[in-house]
Amino acid sequence: MKRILIANRGEIAVRVIRACRDMGIEAVAVYSDCDRGARHVRLADRAVHVGGNAPGESYLRIDRLVDAARQTGADGVHPGYGFLAENEDFAGACSDAGLTFIGPSPDAIALMGSKTAARQAAMQAGVPVVPGTEEPLGRDVPDATIAGIADRIGYPIMIKAVAGGGGKGMRLVMTAQDLPGAIRAARSEAYAAFGDPAIYLERRINRPRHIEIQLLGDHHGTVLPFVERECSIQRRHQKVIEETPSPVVDRELRMRIASDAAAIARSVAYTNAGTIEFLLDESGHYYFLEMNTRLQVEHPITEMVTGVDLVQWQIRIARGERLTIDADAAISPRGHAIECRIYAEDADAGFLPSPGHIDALRVPSGPGIRDDTGAEAGGDVPIFYDPLISKLVAWGADRPEAIARMRRALREYDVVGIKTSIPFFRWMLEQPDFVGARFHTAYLDDVLRARAGEPFTSADDDRIDVAVMAAAINTGLHPFVGSGGRVLSDPADMARESRWKARARDEALRD
Amino acid sequence: MTVHITAGGRTRAVHISRNGDRFLVSINGRQHEVDVKVINGVWSMLVGAPTGPAKAGPYDTNPTTGPDEAGPHDRSDVGAGFSRPTRSYEVAFSPTPEGGMTVHIDGVPVEVSIRRMRRTGATAATHPSDGGPQRVTAPMPGKIVKLLVKPGDKVQPRQGVIVVEAMKMENELRVRAAGTVSEVRVREGASVEAGAILVILE
Repeated sequence: MKRILIANRGEIAVRVIRACRDMGIEAVAVYSDCDRGARHVRLADRAVHVGGNAPGESYLRIDRLVDAARQTGADGVHPGYGFLAENEDFAGACSDAGLTFIGPSPDAIALMGSKTAARQAAMQAGVPVVPGTEEPLGRDVPDATIAGIADRIGYPIMIKAVAGGGGKGMRLVMTAQDLPGAIRAARSEAYAAFGDPAIYLERRINRPRHIEIQLLGDHHGTVLPFVERECSIQRRHQKVIEETPSPVVDRELRMRIASDAAAIARSVAYTNAGTIEFLLDESGHYYFLEMNTRLQVEHPITEMVTGVDLVQWQIRIARGERLTIDADAAISPRGHAIECRIYAEDADAGFLPSPGHIDALRVPSGPGIRDDTGAEAGGDVPIFYDPLISKLVAWGADRPEAIARMRRALREYDVVGIKTSIPFFRWMLEQPDFVGARFHTAYLDDVLRARAGEPFTSADDDRIDVAVMAAAINTGLHPFVGSGGRVLSDPADMARESRWKARARDEALRD
Repeated sequence: MTVHITAGGRTRAVHISRNGDRFLVSINGRQHEVDVKVINGVWSMLVGAPTGPAKAGPYDTNPTTGPDEAGPHDRSDVGAGFSRPTRSYEVAFSPTPEGGMTVHIDGVPVEVSIRRMRRTGATAATHPSDGGPQRVTAPMPGKIVKLLVKPGDKVQPRQGVIVVEAMKMENELRVRAAGTVSEVRVREGASVEAGAILVILE
């Protein structure tokens, strides 16, 4: 493989371009209208415009992406995560066009993409699954039938979308009385998100932890499991903080879960990168949840504790290489790693998206810190896509050191111009429950509900005083800040500050 | 030069003057020496410990080891000419859609609004002072066009109390907080100097 087209944008496009660079492979970026100036475009060797801002007009256009690969002479396609990463038609279209799809086979994507088929695969591999329905409950299955199944499973139950992911089409039902409404809501959400209203039922596991196993499978029959990641800090079923290893998984349990995950992957002849997710209950029993047939957002923490470059290995596997990673090294973490997903969201306003222009950006670095981002000062966070702007990863020799470094990095991190979830993470990393690893998948939602919107951003009196002094100097006295050669601004800043001053003056007069 | 700035739910009068290459900033009745250096649009601010009565705060040096044992952010940088220990801050600004600004202090955003300022003649219409009476002052030299209140009147926040003509424009001056007019110091038609006290409220 000489040239790879990356059918994605943002931080993951940047991540894949970097892997290409490391391997001496050329990178082809694609972009929508609003991404013309984006970081991934400039980092790539070539870039192709694939359409309008809406994902359906650009990053989801299989025809245009395949054309772009052909035009630029690319021989491989990396889908990243999201968009078309788990779309078997895209994987198939790439193969049909003679392009190497850097991911699993279309058959594996289709099989494991169906939650019910994946459950059956897990059961056949002898892996425990959460008790529930084995067949999809299509639109034609009457509520009364579903109610009968729910009674057999026992309440509380979870309704999930067969084509699901990302918490869409998911409902918790506490009593039989709430079932019909929840079925309706889940079906409608599933249909809107995935075009498929089919649902299935699972028993609700009380206070579970989310544990997942990263896998790599080559085309020569080797499937290699990695040390688990714990992703229990979730907001509305979306992962917010991930770490590895799990603070509650010992080596014996790790070996069992990893071996079960590998068994599932082998049973479906899985190739390339994938992740098998489990729920771990309070008594230490784990249950297969689902498989993600792609590179995960949180893959960097596994890289940090194993030293394995997962994206490079995706490419190597796709071009037919054999896995040569030491199996014991893959399952034996060196130190501890934590990831915070930094979103362009206003944590103090119920995590509302906060797209816009980034005026200034101070990115942390230093010992143990890795920041995977596609954002930069002067760039924009568009409203059309996932508002993830950065994945901040901290590595430490042990969990306390990783936490300390993450706190340091969060303190250094400053994004000016848009709101981000950084203030939330600064708060979260101080919580005794987090430090003590006392959490489960509903923990964060419970905590946020209890806080009832209390802000995470609370500057102390000292900082407020300094902000007031800075604003006063900036507003009132800027002309002589620039004088005497003492302090200088660039012209753009002067213009902005002048406009601001004019506005302030206008307001003073109006009042 | 005085600027009125609201942050953290409180409005403060900040007086700024220049002292060589530095600024002298008075806030909360205490004066700080401030040094500003702009690096690619971001400010480095060195803020000197305030003059006036000592209070527990970020400038404290460790009392058990004496003033020379400064904390990690305390710098008794006599070499740079500060007479007092300083704290170092990184400061960035971004305007908010509401017309205020967000000031990031070491990455912690603080929402700030600048109500009124004294520059090219404009100044605060009211001087809220901590606990004291509100005073409405002339923003610039001008003529009193109309009195909208008399002693004893009750006023609501942001109610107009007096109209001043200056620079060929009529400006209605408003109070910041509710109160009762205790004194009107001028009459209609009078000429006033900038900063003159026009109306006092309790």
